[in-house]
Amino acid sequence: MECDESRRHLDAYLDGELGEPERADLRRHLDGCAECGPEAAALERLRDGIRRAAPVYRATPALRSQIRSALRREAGGASAPARGPGWLAFAASLLIAVAVGSGGTWFIAGARQQDAIAGEVIDSHLRSLLANHLTDVASSDKHTVKPWFAGRTELSPPGVDLAAQGFPLVGGRLDLIAGKPVPALVYRAGKHIINVFVLPAAPGDHAETVTRRGYTLRHWAKGDLGYWAVSDAAPDEFAKFEDIFRAAAGG
Amino acid sequence: MGHSPAMNWIAERRQRTRFERLVLPHLDAAYSLARWLTRNDADAADVVQEAYLRAFRYFESYREGDAKSWLLRIVRRTCYTWLERNRPAELVALDTVDDVDDASAAAPGPAGDAEALLMSRSDLRRLDRLIETLPTPLREAIVLRELHELDYRQIAEVTGVPVGTVMSRLHRARAALRRAWEGKEAADGVR
Repeated sequence: MECDESRRHLDAYLDGELGEPERADLRRHLDGCAECGPEAAALERLRDGIRRAAPVYRATPALRSQIRSALRREAGGASAPARGPGWLAFAASLLIAVAVGSGGTWFIAGARQQDAIAGEVIDSHLRSLLANHLTDVASSDKHTVKPWFAGRTELSPPGVDLAAQGFPLVGGRLDLIAGKPVPALVYRAGKHIINVFVLPAAPGDHAETVTRRGYTLRHWAKGDLGYWAVSDAAPDEFAKFEDIFRAAAGG
Repeated sequence: MGHSPAMNWIAERRQRTRFERLVLPHLDAAYSLARWLTRNDADAADVVQEAYLRAFRYFESYREGDAKSWLLRIVRRTCYTWLERNRPAELVALDTVDDVDDASAAAPGPAGDAEALLMSRSDLRRLDRLIETLPTPLREAIVLRELHELDYRQIAEVTGVPVGTVMSRLHRARAALRRAWEGKEAADGVR
């Protein structure tokens, strides 16, 4: 790892946001580098300093009881909006859980594999956000991005620009998932980044949307390709992206 | 309101109990964030009380998961509304704070305002005072990360910005704090 890259990752490293293998790489670099090692130590000193110096602010017992009684007034008041059949919603959520649960049993074997991939995909997504390594080929032109992957990976992702629909293509990147080089298409949704990883479809692959470590993952398969889109964009926006992407990519 | 009074009473009871169980335990965290943002005990108490009432009114919008981030987001929003009303000058820098990317943040210029401000206040030696002088968006990022120990995703949720912005705000907050703090320490060492 070079110093440049090490500096970019330093905050995320100290904040525990770096996945493997970057973590191990960076630690090795810090051990050996006369510049970055002390830099990391200085940042750690700052953190210790902040935690020692900063006063711990706590709510007073008076505030606590004030809030309790304000809530009681609010709940009993004429304007209480809380009324309504909360238990109905609860019952409905149980029904949904049962439905999802029984559908889910069919996919346990595939699920475990999907689970492992999901973890790697999120690590890769975070890695790509750490400045300057969003794209290997930065272009909004699908005629540039698609050929770039040829020869670098056996997988050929559909290059589609969705700028007209509000999701401009930023470029493409080669990433390592499950030890294999895979193409990642990078889109922008407002200020949010959407990474679409393209893997070979696995038997038992099923569409799903999961939230993991706070990031949303949308997965679907088409033909012999499995798609993994990950982002911190708003759920509605992200769902819209999937629809538009699938329509543009022919499914 | 087509429900019987008894039904209403039970529903309200249930809702309030659930709220008290899920949201009330985060009162200290809520107060701490409000205190860092308003920098004043009495104002923080007012803001937190208002934020709890709002949270209770919006409680139906809370689904499941991270109740703490959900609450802190409301507390932060309430703080900003309060600041806009009572101390608008403190929020002036808000619009410009993210208009710099990392490359230009390292260079002197308008982006270095936070650093310059810290440097010029040579009477500030304690780190907590340095944190208090950070522009609000940088201050809240560093407070949520170092003192509330939230991860990037949670900070993004609380402050309503993308994770990439959280990263760059944290980086800039630390750079500003380090420059001021280490500069001060070095100066003390010379004497």
